[in-house]
Amino acid sequence: MARFSTEAKVGVFVVVGIILLGYMSLRLGKFEIGRARGYDLYAYFDSVAGLVKNASVEIAGVEVGRVKDISLEEGKAKVTLLIRQGIRLGSDLVASIRTKGVLGDKYVELTMGSPYAPPLKPGGRIVRTISPADIDTLFHKLSAIGDDIKSITGSILNIIGGKEGQESLRMIIKNMREMSDALNKTVQANNENMNQLISNLTDFSKDLKEVTSSNKGAIAKIITNLRRSSARLDETLVALKGILDKINKGEGTIGKLLVEDDTAKNLEAVLVSLKEVSDKINKGEGTIGKLINEEETVDNINTTLTSINEYLQKDERFRTYLNYRGEYLFDSEEVKSYLSLRIQPREDKYYLLQVVDDPAGRTTETEITTTKGGVISSEYKKETDKDAIKFSAQIAKRYYDLGLRGGIFESTGGAAIDYYLFQDHLVLSLEAFDFDSDRNAHLKFKADLTPFQYLYVTAGFDDFISTDGRESFFFGAGIHFSDEDIKTLLSNVPIPGN
Amino acid sequence: MLQLLEITGNYIIRGTEEFGRILLLFLNALSWMIRPPYRLKIILKQMEFVGVSSTFVVLLTGTFTGMVLALQTYHGFRKFSAEGLVGATVALSMTRELGPVLTALMVTGRAGSAMAAEIGTMRVTEQIDALYTMAVNPIQYLIAPRIIAGVLMLPVLTIISDFVGIAGGYFIGVGLLKINSGIFVAKMIEIVELNDIFHGLIKSSCFGLILTLIGCYKGFYTKGGAEGVGKATTQSVVFASVSILISDYFLTAVMF
Repeated sequence: MARFSTEAKVGVFVVVGIILLGYMSLRLGKFEIGRARGYDLYAYFDSVAGLVKNASVEIAGVEVGRVKDISLEEGKAKVTLLIRQGIRLGSDLVASIRTKGVLGDKYVELTMGSPYAPPLKPGGRIVRTISPADIDTLFHKLSAIGDDIKSITGSILNIIGGKEGQESLRMIIKNMREMSDALNKTVQANNENMNQLISNLTDFSKDLKEVTSSNKGAIAKIITNLRRSSARLDETLVALKGILDKINKGEGTIGKLLVEDDTAKNLEAVLVSLKEVSDKINKGEGTIGKLINEEETVDNINTTLTSINEYLQKDERFRTYLNYRGEYLFDSEEVKSYLSLRIQPREDKYYLLQVVDDPAGRTTETEITTTKGGVISSEYKKETDKDAIKFSAQIAKRYYDLGLRGGIFESTGGAAIDYYLFQDHLVLSLEAFDFDSDRNAHLKFKADLTPFQYLYVTAGFDDFISTDGRESFFFGAGIHFSDEDIKTLLSNVPIPGN
Repeated sequence: MLQLLEITGNYIIRGTEEFGRILLLFLNALSWMIRPPYRLKIILKQMEFVGVSSTFVVLLTGTFTGMVLALQTYHGFRKFSAEGLVGATVALSMTRELGPVLTALMVTGRAGSAMAAEIGTMRVTEQIDALYTMAVNPIQYLIAPRIIAGVLMLPVLTIISDFVGIAGGYFIGVGLLKINSGIFVAKMIEIVELNDIFHGLIKSSCFGLILTLIGCYKGFYTKGGAEGVGKATTQSVVFASVSILISDYFLTAVMF
């Protein structure tokens, strides 16, 4: 101890202390001694949960700086990064917040962009940022997914699990086995058929050969005919092409029909059936076949058609009308219905066939005469059939605005006068029928107004001189179609697809 | 009942008196410190006594504290596979808490008690009165150098303690428990900050002030012969240790 002075001992001691302090400071203090040199960048993140001041900033795992400051700006986290001097960063760089280690320390990872991007200047902003995936939201999503999967497995369990599911699965397998068995059998059975078919074909081709060799001259003639007709066909084709173009564009009715898919299907079906029919006709099967294939009938048909043509040209105004009308009788509070078919071969005359449902029914009277001991006693029996249907059949003739009708009126004889007004929109009629000696005739006055094409309203006074107290005002409506209307109606009604 | 009140009151009065006397002594010492003559020789002698002589004790306690810390935390961290954090834990504990406190307690036991005994003996044998008659202020001559030595030497001892503690922890962690040395050091560097060390050193300076001040105070006001000297020595150690631990809490709370 004598060799060292107090000063020396204390000096050495303090120096050792300072050296140790310096060493530890350098090791532990990183580059905190003095002001860190570098430049600032800033970035906005949606969330920086877990990021702390002084957290490291890394590129490819190499620390290039520190988080200098975290502040809130307009609802977003503004993170200021202190980047070490000499680190060059492109402006298309992406800043993301990542997690490091077991304890989940957050740090900022920078991903370098293109090497050609212009460098970020000190104080610049990193535009592209990725906020950390919040574990809470992650778990929320995962649990939602888990629920979904659970429901799926639950429904699968419902389908497959349980005795029913197993039973149906077994059934499916059984059906498949049966089906494959059937298929197998079919194939085996058809094998023989196929063989037969092929042999038939061979026979057929042999026959064909014989036919052609024996008919060489005729074939040559056919070919010349064909050539001639083909020249004509050219012209026809040009014309057809124009039509087809229109059709293609969907112009015209046929065009519309063809462009629509459904109609194409329908047409196909029609063509198939047409082909069958024409095949049969060709073979001379059926009446038409026989007719067509025999020359005599062809001549007959020709003459018939000519005469029909003449007939049709003579009267093109042949019309058929279907008519329904209902009359509400105010007194008896009942409805009287008429269903009539009017055949109008010419404008000025028509035939009317009518079915009438009269609530009054048909009254039949029978007189029973009995001779009992020289005394003649007669007994009247009146029977009313409420459900009976009455019929009318009339002939009508029109002179300008006046029409006359005669014939059967509700199953009795009668006559009527019609007066047409306002271009036939209003028709006034007076009918007289059911003439009987012991009571007044049935007189009926009515007015039909047709405001629309198919609908009309009617009003009038029925049986107004009745002795049975059946007189009644009535009001009603009706609907009538001509055959033309029916045609258009039918063609517009959608037919269920095949 | 009155007696009880009287006793507690007396205790409180005596405690307050003592605290006041310590403070007055400290202020006195401070005022004498800046007044010439500066007795550098005495200060150096005290620094040697407080600092250099305590080195061995501090080395031993520091090393073994670091070693046992590494051993204990290893078993704790292994339960959740975070053995890499042992180094950081040892370093943090040593620099922030155990280095300053254990060093201060060791120095209290070694130097603080010696100061109380020395000054107490001088008081009992009327050497302090003799200093007065020689126109030498005993506070300036005896107490100020000791306080200066304590405040200056404790941080040096603490930094030595920190270092050997971490070295001991490294030896146990890497040498015996086979923790990866790279991770051990890296985690330590990552987690421990320079402020941890500096705050520990500031604390140790305060402890140095407390232990020297209490040692000197107890010696300076010794009464009742040899028995009084013994009593003063014991009291100084107990009082200084307790004060160090209590003030440690408040210093830590203020600094971190």
